[in-house]
Amino acid sequence: MKKWGEIALGVVTSIGGFLEVGSIATSVQGGAIFHFQLAWVLVLGTASLAFLMEMTGRLAAVSRRTYADLLRERFGYRFFVVPLLAVFIVSLLVLTSEIGGVAIALQLATGIAFRWWAIPIALIGWLLLWRGTFSIVEQGTAMLGLVALTFAVGAVKLHPDWGTLGRALLPSTPSRDSARYWYIAVSMLGASISPYLYLFYSAGAIEDAWTIEYLSVNRITAGLGNLFGGGLAIAALVTAALVFEPRGIQVDRYEQIALVLATPLGRAGLVLFIATLCITCFGSTLEIALAIAYLLAQGFGWQWSENLKPGKDARFSTSYTVLIVLAAVPIALGADPLQLTNLSMVVTAASLPVTVIPLLVLMNDGDVLDTHVNGWISNTALVVIALLSVVLLVAALPLQLLGGG
Amino acid sequence: MLQSASVRRAALALVVGVAIAGCGAAPELDQQLETLSSWTATLELAKERHGAAAISTTYATQLADAARSALGKTEQQIGHAVHSRIDSSYAADALDSLRGAIRQLDAETGR
Repeated sequence: MKKWGEIALGVVTSIGGFLEVGSIATSVQGGAIFHFQLAWVLVLGTASLAFLMEMTGRLAAVSRRTYADLLRERFGYRFFVVPLLAVFIVSLLVLTSEIGGVAIALQLATGIAFRWWAIPIALIGWLLLWRGTFSIVEQGTAMLGLVALTFAVGAVKLHPDWGTLGRALLPSTPSRDSARYWYIAVSMLGASISPYLYLFYSAGAIEDAWTIEYLSVNRITAGLGNLFGGGLAIAALVTAALVFEPRGIQVDRYEQIALVLATPLGRAGLVLFIATLCITCFGSTLEIALAIAYLLAQGFGWQWSENLKPGKDARFSTSYTVLIVLAAVPIALGADPLQLTNLSMVVTAASLPVTVIPLLVLMNDGDVLDTHVNGWISNTALVVIALLSVVLLVAALPLQLLGGG
Repeated sequence: MLQSASVRRAALALVVGVAIAGCGAAPELDQQLETLSSWTATLELAKERHGAAAISTTYATQLADAARSALGKTEQQIGHAVHSRIDSSYAADALDSLRGAIRQLDAETGR
């Protein structure tokens, strides 16, 4: 019974934590220009993330060490510096985008320019990290993040053509504007498969003291949670496809995105959109700040746990304190949050090989996983994800130049 | 042999350069027109939604300001993308439509 409770909590947490600034922005941009056509990218991204989370969760439950710990231990410090630097830079950029998302939500609600909100958001976020525990950060914000279900209600109320949507779940090539199509596709994949998501998940498994007995919880949480979460991203794409695409509205600013729910749901839609953007981005702000601090602490062998008092893991606590304030600075200086989001999603996509390819080695290492090494399904999926990550690395820069507008 | 290979490379570079330059001009104007038309449509939708009390005046005002900023930016850039009288007339129409949409949303929100 306790296990089912944990599964339910895990699934709900994954759903509530799935949407964030990147997935909202890129899904809406994709739907606004290419109708349902890019829905398959979300299926691919969500399935990839589910596999990566299941594997990093399994790694943590069996070995009692995080993915970052094992990267350092099995590949050595020299190699570890590469993913450490790549994930650090990319995640800091995404952290800035998330703070931008919360700031934009507050601007939409109050009319006060987003840049004034950046530092207060960082301070409130820091206070929660300083005073809170892991379950408050993870489950509290994810529970509130269930407000994102509004996108599903909005999509259903717009009566999409389910047949067309179903066909769009299979890959297709664009009939026009190929550069922009692939640019948005790469951004959507970057938003779906952010390394911080599976690094945070892996560290969370240790925070929650997972053991081998949690492997089924891990499998169901990673599978079902991402399935429903990915469904919400598709719902965001569908609402944009039905509200913006017929009117020829492209999304150049966050201000435009809020109209997407005000059309099917009226005044409540606008309020719920603002709440969704604010809560989901704030939740992600906390998770990313923690994920980077976890990575640094695990990489350098510091004491770390969000459940410890800050004085007991001073270097870990100092890390997230500095990071969250640092990330707020560009927004406080007026950097365009949507452009920053798009850039950070493409850079994220390009950074994937350094964390995905080593996983292929670790997941087949009997010394680490004993009998729980990857089977052929997981290995096939991981090889496909690794190849995809290399393609994204090669394509990201040219697409940023050609399709990034 | 070396000389003819160099000539071929130079000719290829010239062709690619001309093609890029030739293709570059038109999409730039298209992109500007698309942006203007997108903002016009955004403001029309905002006006309709504000009329139905589905969006707040605070939010509608922000949309009008964002459109004004996009209009100002495009007004500065569109001159470089216009290469003929037809281009110029398309640009003028698109700019006028957006100015009109901004005025209408301002009127709707009582500005």
